[in-house]
Formats: sequence, structure tokens, C-alpha cells
Amino acid sequence: MDEAQIRKDLVDMLGKDKVLVKDLDLMYYSYDSSFYTKLEPKNPTAVVLPKSTEDVQKVMRYAYENHINVIPRGAGTGETGGCIAINGGIVLDLSSWDDIVEIDAANMQVIVRPGIIHARLNEKLAEYNLFFPPDPGSSQMCTIGGMVANNASGLRAVKYGCTEQYILGLEVVLPNGDVIITGGMKSKAIKNVSGLNLTKLMVGSEGVLGVITRIRLRCWPKPKARGIAMAVFDNLDDAPATVLEVYREGVLPSGIEILDSSAIRAVNQFKPEINLPDAEAILLFEVDGNPPGVEYEGNVIKEVASRRARQVEWSTDPKRMAQLWEGRSVTAAAAARVRPDGSRIFAGEDISVPLSKVADTLRAIRTLGEKYGIQVVNYGHIGDGNVHTAPVINPENPEEVEKVMQLVHDIHLLAIELEGSTTGEHGVGVVRRPYAELEHGLAVKYMKGIKQVFDPRGIMNPDKLF
Amino acid sequence: MDFKKLPPVQEQIMKCVRCGKCRSVCPVFAEIRNETAAPRGHVFMVQMLRDGKVEPDSEVYDYLANCLLCETCSINCPSGIDIHELNAAARSYIYEHHPSVSKELIFDTLWTKPSLLRTSTKFLWGAQKSGLQALARNLGLMKILPGDLPKAEGILSSVPLRSGRSLVREVNPARGEKRFRVGYFLGCGTDLFQPQVAKATVEVLTRNGCEVIVPRETRCCGMPHLANGKMDTARKLLAHNVKIFNGYDFDYIITDCASCSSALTEKNIKFVLGGLKIEDEALVFADKVMDLTKFLVDILDIQLPDNPDAKTRKVTFHDPCHLANAQGIKSQPRELLQRLPGVQLVEMAEANRCCGGSGTYSITHYDLSMKILDRKMDNAMATGADYLATCCPSCMMQLQYGVRRCKWDCQVVHPIELVYEYYQSLPEIAPV
Repeated sequence: MDEAQIRKDLVDMLGKDKVLVKDLDLMYYSYDSSFYTKLEPKNPTAVVLPKSTEDVQKVMRYAYENHINVIPRGAGTGETGGCIAINGGIVLDLSSWDDIVEIDAANMQVIVRPGIIHARLNEKLAEYNLFFPPDPGSSQMCTIGGMVANNASGLRAVKYGCTEQYILGLEVVLPNGDVIITGGMKSKAIKNVSGLNLTKLMVGSEGVLGVITRIRLRCWPKPKARGIAMAVFDNLDDAPATVLEVYREGVLPSGIEILDSSAIRAVNQFKPEINLPDAEAILLFEVDGNPPGVEYEGNVIKEVASRRARQVEWSTDPKRMAQLWEGRSVTAAAAARVRPDGSRIFAGEDISVPLSKVADTLRAIRTLGEKYGIQVVNYGHIGDGNVHTAPVINPENPEEVEKVMQLVHDIHLLAIELEGSTTGEHGVGVVRRPYAELEHGLAVKYMKGIKQVFDPRGIMNPDKLF
Repeated sequence: MDFKKLPPVQEQIMKCVRCGKCRSVCPVFAEIRNETAAPRGHVFMVQMLRDGKVEPDSEVYDYLANCLLCETCSINCPSGIDIHELNAAARSYIYEHHPSVSKELIFDTLWTKPSLLRTSTKFLWGAQKSGLQALARNLGLMKILPGDLPKAEGILSSVPLRSGRSLVREVNPARGEKRFRVGYFLGCGTDLFQPQVAKATVEVLTRNGCEVIVPRETRCCGMPHLANGKMDTARKLLAHNVKIFNGYDFDYIITDCASCSSALTEKNIKFVLGGLKIEDEALVFADKVMDLTKFLVDILDIQLPDNPDAKTRKVTFHDPCHLANAQGIKSQPRELLQRLPGVQLVEMAEANRCCGGSGTYSITHYDLSMKILDRKMDNAMATGADYLATCCPSCMMQLQYGVRRCKWDCQVVHPIELVYEYYQSLPEIAPV
């Protein structure tokens, strides 16, 4: 269909305030945070800024009738090209539709529209002594809609799990314009095993089945106390071994983060005043809960970590905790600045491996970096085996780009070989789609079958996921 | 200057990973709420300009100019990109391809010549006092002004008759023992719109052992030119000011204006000189430049005599972007206020969030500027302060307008005014 006609029809349908059609406007929607779109930005045909379920319905009915692709988008902080119209289509920018519809404190749940920012939601919930536990590093930027679509998690997944564990129900506009409510039309139940679980199906579906327009989330009581332990290791293998031993002692920290020697060097180079000890690995444990419990668990971690670590420190003092945690919180920025004439890139950045293989994985990635002559910074959520790799290159040097793409490919294959996954929390999008068959085998055929049921015309965020 | 060879353009564009952190802190994005206002998007657009994928035309300029250059994105960027510099450089690159007569008139003819600028301001004062401005407004003549000017003319109301320069002498000897020889960089905003600040600055500095010289040949710091695509003119103004001030043997060069001190920092000078050989003279100059409140607290360690009869006043402080973001100066103005007997400093929420003034932004983007101002005023009024203090004449104008719009009984001041007023209130020291 003629692009000019699509743009005109959308403006006629929704008004010019809700539709962006100028070439320059569209350029601003040609990227997300992936290296893929840094290399190949792709403009959509039009951008719609919906403010109601009816707006989304109108767009979907029009798109369905005219066989036009529709791509939902949150804050565009994804690292996979998942919200990009790689073959044209209408981008639905849901990030400004950010109402908190209801905070039902008595039932410990909240209903929101997809554009609400994670950090803002938790600020509001804090007024009720509640919180939504998944804690992505992009908390200040990412939307809850994006988190649901990607089943995001983050620093506290060890104890609190992923987004899917907190989604009680969804309103979804399907490609033909139908609106379904998952988790029960009127339900406010926390437990619900009635019917096929379409909520779980939608969470992590990356916009290929429908547009999520309302989210019913479960909240948890906000912990009253927190403590941080830092353990410094001369032997990389001692870090995952310590994590296992902490678990065996019955302690489940809210987060366990690792910085390997590359990340330690990067942090010290970026901010010398942090002065992390030179080591093969540093572990940071975060414990939360009630004050006596936190103190007890902190002591256990301290005792267990001391068996292998060169140095262990435990603190519940807010100032000291902030200092201890700073090494982790600046790692991403430090990786970005490790090479003055280069940049970290988001590619091959999210593999997930069994805990017992984290040390092997870190070593293997280091070796791969040496093989391709690319500097690599490794850090991540070791508590659940999620390794974040930051290759640092000059992205405008074609030779380096070619090499890093090979490196990234090898990292993805490594994850599968080590009985892990190509992505722990960032999703598949375009960039990890080539690994779907390798990772899931025959299951991909059934995934495609499910998509066919919801999206028979193949207009819903096509060419993503599988 | 070749835009593509400017250091930020050459070195920093590639560092943007479009993480979106800038979206979460940008005051303009918070109002527009779509990606076209995201600073990372502007970085992308600058890249497209550099790579020739978009033309350097007025449409691209308009997208990039919808930014306050408040530097909030830059200081929050995990990759350390000076996003505001990229934006300003791109504006100048586009302007070179599309110069405008009105900008040449305003920024080259008028704004580079202090005497002409002062004459124009007097004309505006005359129009206001004689009722001509009101008459023109009532007759609808303001509507013929370009862009948002008809709406924004209210910001310029109550222009003072006398300039700051007319209120202070060129040479002002130190009172008592001389400690420092200080050059006072009297910027356009203070000179034309907040002359009382100039007088207070000279009075307080001389009372504290400073010989204060106010070079008559001082010209604009170049910040308005940078914001409006006139980097070449900013460079010429800088060269002129360096020559003038280096002609004296100053210990420090002090300015009350956050934008001026930010424009004259080593970092900005290096940017404006655009990768050219940094003249030693410019760096010698930059090394001496210091914000007034920082000078009073960190260098002079000003001590104000106690006065049990001092009037109790509740003061809240707004951080100018060019002070807090560009120079990291946050504690000194507060410290100065807290050293004032009788002052109760009450922090407002989001004190370091832009007021929406940003020099000429409030005139070129009036409606958006007012939305940003409204948020600032809500935060300020919640403190119940008697005084709203800030260290930038442009912020002062915007906040004065905000106070009028909100019909709030509060006085907008530079902290130095309160210090001067306090000195005057002391019985043992005769008013000047």
C-alpha cells in the first residue's frame, strides 16, 4: 500500500497530534539500543502515539485490513532491534501512555498502562510500602510494557525472579482488533489456574502476538532492611563456588553480581577513586528483608565467602553500601569509556549459562576476545548465570565491526554449547533470531503455529523472535 | 571551522549506544514525550548530518533547536558524551548553510556591540514607560513579530532604565587591606536586565578586600551565539574578551552570571576554538574565571558579622544549569546563603531542574518553556519561600516572569543582593 496513503489515513483516523509522518520524525524511530540498528537504522512508515485501547484497536483494524506491519515500542531501550520496523510498518510508541490506572494496596496489585516507567511506578508504590521487584539496570528509562514484552528481570532476579512472576493479567489488542483480557475478565485474584495461561504466553512474546495495553501487576511488601557484602577473589573459579556455597547454607540474596578482572580494570580506569582491589573476580551480594534476617544472612555470607576470598566486607550502613555497590553501578559506564577512541556495543551482551559453568564462560569469552583482538569487559548477574559482555570497538571501523560480529556469533554459540541460552533477559528481537532453531529445535515450528493463530496475516512485529 | 573535524563530532558521536538515559532526565522530553525530543535522537541526527544523510537545512535545525542546551543529558550520559556540544556544533553547521538576516542583525550587529545593545534596551524601557508597548499589544501589533515573540514579550517587561555598567565605576578600590585584584566580567544579562546585581557584586567584593575592575570593552560571553548557530561569532567574542582581560594583571576574573562563567571555562573555550591550537592566552584567561559565589565562599571565605536583629527570611535556591550542570557548582551558593544571618534555606524539589529560560529558548519556544517553568514554579512555591534565589540573570528573568504568572508574593534575587542588603542593614556600616 502506498506509504503516503497510509500516513494520510492514520492522520484522518487519529488526528495529527497522535501521528508522526515527517521523514525526520521517522528517523528518530529508526533505532533502539542495539548495535544492529546502529549499523542499520530503519525508518518506519509512520509512528502512532496511542492514548487509549480504542486508538490501538483502530490502528490494528486498519493494519489488518490493509496488510500493514505494526510494531509496538516502549522507550526504545531494548538491545535487539525488537521495536524496529525492519521492513516498514506502523510503530506504536506506547511510552507516553503511562497512567497508573489503580493501585489496589489491599490486594497488593496495581493496574498500569504500558508506558509507565519502571522507576516511577516503584516511586508511587513506595507510598503504599509496596514494590514491583524486578529491577532492570534501565529502571529510570524502560517502560513496564517493554518489560512485559521482553520478560525482563535484572539485578534482583536471584530472589525475585523475572517479570512473568508478577503479571496477573493483561489486556491485549490482537492483530484483527479484538481485545482480550487474560487472567480473568474481572479477576483480581492472585492465584488463578483457570483456563489456558495466555498471560504467560504473552509475557516475553516481544510484540509478535498482539499489543499489550493494560497490565495487572502483583506487588510485594517493600523490604525494611538491606545489606551489601563484597568478596574479592584471586581465583575466578572461587567466585561461582562461593555463590553455590551461600545457596547451600540456605541464604538467597536478592542479587549477586560479578565483575571479572576486565571489569575491575575498567572501573578503576574510569573512576580511580573507587579503587577496587586488583583481583580475578569481585562478588557483590545484596541481601534484603527484615533487619535481624538481613544481619543473619550477611554474617553467613561473610563467613562462607571468607573461606575462599582474599577480602570480605559486609555493611548495612547506607553510605558504605553505596560505596561498595558503586563498583557495580558504574560498570556499564566504565565499559563504555574503557577505550578513548572506541565504544562498548550491545551485541552478544546477554547470554545465560548454568551457574556451574560461569567461570568457564568468562574464560572462554576472554579467549575469544583475544582471538579476534577485541577488548571485552565482562560483568553480570552471576546469581542466575546471566553474563553481560561488553565488547569495546570503534564502531565506525569496518574491520573491527566484522571481527566483533564474528565474536558475538561465537559467544552466542558458546552459550548454547554450555547448555545455556543466547539471552537471559534482553530478548531475541532481530539479532538473536538466527539462533532460534539451534536453541529450540522443533519447538520453533509450534511457536510459529501459535503466532499463526493470533496473527494469521503476519502483520504483528514480523521478522522477530523466530 | 569544519564541522566534521570538531572534536566532539569526530570522537563522541560513535560512543552513543542510545541507551536512553538522556530521555529520562531531559526537561524538554518530559513535556513532548516522544522520541523526536530525545537527546540521543539529536545525537543520531547530528550523525546523519555528518554523514550527509540529511541536508543541513532549517527543518533539521528546528529539531535540534528544540533543546535547552541545559547539559542535563551530558552530565548523565553513561558514555560521557557532551551532547550539548554536538547539538550546538550542528546548529552552527546548519546556520552556515542557511544564514538569516534577522539573526545577523541580532547576534552580529547588535549583540556584539554593548553600546548598541544598551541603546536598544533603553528604547524598550521607553516603550514600556510611555505605554507604547501596551498600546502596541492592545492594537494587536505584537502579533506581527516573528515566531513566539508576541507571546514572549511579557518576559521582557519591566526593563530597567539604567544599565549595570552605569551603576558601577570602571575602577573600584578595595576597602581596607587589598587581598586580590579582580576583573568583573559584567555579562549582558546582568548589565541590561539585573543592574542591581552588578552594583551588589562590586560593593560586596570591594568590602571584602578586592580591587574590582570592570573593563568597559567587555563584550558578550558568546553563549547566546552558541545557542543560535553563531559559533564563529562566539569565537570572535571570546578572542576579544581574552585580549581585553589579559591586558590587566588580574588574580581572578569573576562573574555573577552562570552562563558567562560556563562560557568562559576551559572546556567550553576548547570547544569553541574547535580543535584549533588552543592559544595559551585563552587558557590563562579561563584559569582565572570563577563564579562569584564560589569565589566568595572558597577563596574569600566570606564571614558576615552577626546581627541579632537580622530579618528572618525563608530562601529557596534554583540551580542554574550552567552553574550546576556545566560547572558542578551547587554547594557554594547555598553555603553563601546559609552564612547570611536570618536566612533559612529551604530546598525545593528538583532544584537543579531547568527553569525553561535558557537564554533565548523562552522566546523561541515560548509554550514549551512555560510548561517547564510551571513545574519549576510548583516546586518553588511549595517551599513557601520569601525569596527565590539563583545565580543567572536569564534564570532570574524567567523566574520573575513565573512569579508574576503565578501571582506569588516572592522576590527573585541573586544571592549577592541579599548579602549586599545585609551589609546595608548593619548599623555600624553606612549604606553606600
